[in-house]
Amino acid sequence: MKNRTKLIRAVPALLTVLSLLFVVACGNVGGTDSSGGGGGPTITVGSKNFTEQYILGNMYVQALDANGFNGVAKLDLGSEQIADKALQNGQIDLYPEYTGTALVAIVPYKGNPADLNSPKATYEAAKKGYAERSPADTMLEPAPFNNTYGIFVRKSVAEKNGLTNMDELAQASKNLTFISYSEFQNRSDGYPNMQKNYPALDFKEIKIVNELGLRYSGLESGEGDVGVGFTTDGQLTSDQLVVMKDPKSIWPFYYPAPVVRSDVLKKHPKIEKVLNEVSASLDVATMRELNGQVDLDQEDPEDVAREHLEEEGIVE
Amino acid sequence: MLLEILEVYARPDFPEKLWQHVLLSLAALLVAIAIALPVALLIRNTRLGAAIAINIGNIGRAVPSLAILALALPLLGIGFASALVALTALAIPPILINASTGLREVSKDVIDAARGMGLSGGQILSRIQLPIAAPVIFAGIRTSAVQTVASATLATFIGGGGLGDLIVEGYSRRGPEILLAGALAVAILAIITEVGFGALERAFTPKGLKIAQKRGR
Repeated sequence: MKNRTKLIRAVPALLTVLSLLFVVACGNVGGTDSSGGGGGPTITVGSKNFTEQYILGNMYVQALDANGFNGVAKLDLGSEQIADKALQNGQIDLYPEYTGTALVAIVPYKGNPADLNSPKATYEAAKKGYAERSPADTMLEPAPFNNTYGIFVRKSVAEKNGLTNMDELAQASKNLTFISYSEFQNRSDGYPNMQKNYPALDFKEIKIVNELGLRYSGLESGEGDVGVGFTTDGQLTSDQLVVMKDPKSIWPFYYPAPVVRSDVLKKHPKIEKVLNEVSASLDVATMRELNGQVDLDQEDPEDVAREHLEEEGIVE
Repeated sequence: MLLEILEVYARPDFPEKLWQHVLLSLAALLVAIAIALPVALLIRNTRLGAAIAINIGNIGRAVPSLAILALALPLLGIGFASALVALTALAIPPILINASTGLREVSKDVIDAARGMGLSGGQILSRIQLPIAAPVIFAGIRTSAVQTVASATLATFIGGGGLGDLIVEGYSRRGPEILLAGALAVAILAIITEVGFGALERAFTPKGLKIAQKRGR
């Protein structure tokens, strides 16, 4: 009798465990998969793992869907290394990459990408690097905005000290507090790069806060005067923050462009026109706005992408 | 890898982070003791007080550390002060629970006997209850100390500094040697804390109790 009771009790428990395992196994593993609504040849779009990438990736998928392709999204793959690997072994057909990142981390490039003194030169070098790989890739036209490090100052402080660029900031820095984070302070192209190029830099205090939202709110509340972020951060739509110009151009240009496997592009040359249209519809103000909708208003990147494309008339 | 980890310890910013971590943990622990012990003493004789203390303690243990850190922010802004307040709040529960329970667990017979011998309330506390409860109280302090050393890594998110800075940096820059250096340092600190407070606990256990413990009573 006791053994039978145990057995009867064990069955529902076992069923529960098995169904949980089944659900987990069928769930998304390493990426967000979704299939577009279009018919036509299937094009798989990947992306890296941050907001701007989710938005761009979704835009590429939706634009392709609207133009006779079947766009499949495999977003949120991970870092550029992981996305590039997926591209090279055919798991994805294209993904958005930055011209600077390609030179720094992906294609072989001799020299310092920060020394290239125009976005165009950076793009040409990246494009060449991609074309010379095997299998070859094509980096299409970049969108006309730069997503690089941005140093920004609280508006009241900027106005009081007449600060518009990094030189002026460096001169005034000994009275100012900088809110930064560990990675930026210690990577050679981060704070040390700033100090090297603007030697007058000497902040009164540097607070290290390893949480992006808190850095921005710390500035808002006056616990710091100067901050660092990316030029397309949604928080920079605020008129309370002034981004400093960088006359010495100490960072590489990071313009986003779709990188497509050349064999895929050859088979479907229309992809180029479709994605160029998406890229041309963007600029830094728009990208900040879109990033802000996701990061600050908690909207879905897919919806944000769609709204933008609809506004631009790229999709219905 | 070991060499690279040692190179991280040789960085000019490492001693400061280590010191921040130790200072934060120590300060939080001391303030927590200063709050929890008197409270435990006050409520030692009332059943309701003890129940409240235990429940607050248990709730405190269940709240995620990061949540408390986030709550401290609007009050004190980013930096050491917020981290200290949050860590203190996290350090109180184990001490409160153990001190409260330890004092109340002193056998009623022993206290009766002491009262029979003519000891006053204060004398009972200082000569009977505290020495008997001492091992339990110190165990609570030890638990709290180790937990605080580990939780202090979270201060990095709110600008409180400490070894958490290295862990986050290592993760962001994909530099495992930096991450491991930070994590290893925290682990070593935690072990030193555990061993150190363990020794303190033994030092404060009354001799008679030590003998009783050895004999398994």
